[in-house]
Amino acid sequence: MTVGTLPIWSKTFSYAIRSLCLLHIVHMYAYEFTETRGESMLPTLSATNDYVHVLKNFQNGKGIKMGDCIVALKPTDPNHRICKRITGMPGDLVLVDPSTVVNYVGGVLIDEERFGTYIKVPEGHVWVTGDNLSHSLDSRTYNALPMGLIMGKIVAANNFDSPFWDGSKHRFWGFKRINNTFVDANANSN
Amino acid sequence: MFQARSKRVLQSTLIALSWIPVFLTINNNVVHIAQVKGISMQPTLNPQTETLAKDWVLLWKFGVKNPVNLSRDDIVLFRAPTNPRKIYCKRVKGLPFDTIETKFPYPKPQVNLPRGHIWVEGDNLFHSIDSNTFGPISSGLVIGKAVSIVWPPSRWGSDLKLSTGRDCISKRAIPE
Repeated sequence: MTVGTLPIWSKTFSYAIRSLCLLHIVHMYAYEFTETRGESMLPTLSATNDYVHVLKNFQNGKGIKMGDCIVALKPTDPNHRICKRITGMPGDLVLVDPSTVVNYVGGVLIDEERFGTYIKVPEGHVWVTGDNLSHSLDSRTYNALPMGLIMGKIVAANNFDSPFWDGSKHRFWGFKRINNTFVDANANSN
Repeated sequence: MFQARSKRVLQSTLIALSWIPVFLTINNNVVHIAQVKGISMQPTLNPQTETLAKDWVLLWKFGVKNPVNLSRDDIVLFRAPTNPRKIYCKRVKGLPFDTIETKFPYPKPQVNLPRGHIWVEGDNLFHSIDSNTFGPISSGLVIGKAVSIVWPPSRWGSDLKLSTGRDCISKRAIPE
C-alpha cells in the first residue's frame, strides 16, 4: 500500500475528507440535528435556541401524514428552510384564511366575498401552516408546497436554554417529542 | 502467510469502502450523470425517435437551487411539482420577476413569476408537460443543470442550444 508512505498531513487530510463526507451523507439521508429559529412554530418550538431532530427518510414527502411537523426548503427562497406543520394533503379542500386576504388593491375593493372560498391542494403538494398562525409565513402566502421540497420530518427537539438535566421532569436539555397533533373529527364521530 | 494476505485484502476493502461517502457527496452536490427519457426535449435531446436511444447528460449540481445561478435557455432537471418521485428535464424560459407569454393549457395569457420561481418549457412544444400545465416552479426543485452529453459517443459535443423552443416569451419590466 502506498498510503503508509504518504506524509502525515495528507493522511490526516484524507481521513478528514472521508469522515466529513460520511457525516454529510448521514445528514442527507438518515438523520439531522439542526437549529431552528423564528416565532412561527411557537408553542411547539421556541423562537431561539431550539434544536430539532429530523428524520430524513421522509424526504420528498415520502410517508408523511396530516399533522406532521416537517422541514422544507422555502419555495420563494431556496437558501432558507422552513419548519411547518402539514394541515392539508393532496386533494384536500382548504378554507382560505379570511382574516389575511387583502381585499383592497390601490384603494379599490377587488374582492368582496372571500369568506367561504376554498382551495384544492393539487396532486403532489401539501398545505403547510405554522403553529403560531398570527406570526407565520406559510401556505397562506406562497400557496401549496410541492412535496419535492420537503427535507424531513421533525420527531423531537432540544432546548439549550433549559438546564442540562432537569431532575423533576427527567429530561436532558428540555428534550421533548414532537407529536402528530391531527385529530380526525370524522373518525371520532363514527 | 494466508492470514497476512487476507488481512491485507480486508484492509484495502475497508479503505475502498471508506471512500464511498466521498463519491456520494460529490455525486449529490457537484456533478452527476443522468439519463434523459422521453421526447419532450427533441430535437436537442433524444433526437432519434426510431432507435429509442437515450442520451446521458453531465449534470452540474452545485448551487443550482439558487435562481441567481440559473440563466434563460439552460437545460435543467427538476423534481416534478405534481409528483416528487418523477424527475423532468426542461429548458428554463423565465427567471424570477419575469413576465411570461404563456401557451394553451395555462389559464391566463400572461403571468408574472414570483420570487424564487422559474418558468420551464420543453423544446418539443407539442409533447411536453411543462410550466404551461403546472405553472411556475420553485427553483428549490431543480436538481441539476445539463452541461453536455456524455453518452452515446456519436452525440459528443452536440449543441445543447440547438433549438430553444419558443423565443422571446419572457420580458422584464426592470432591465437587469
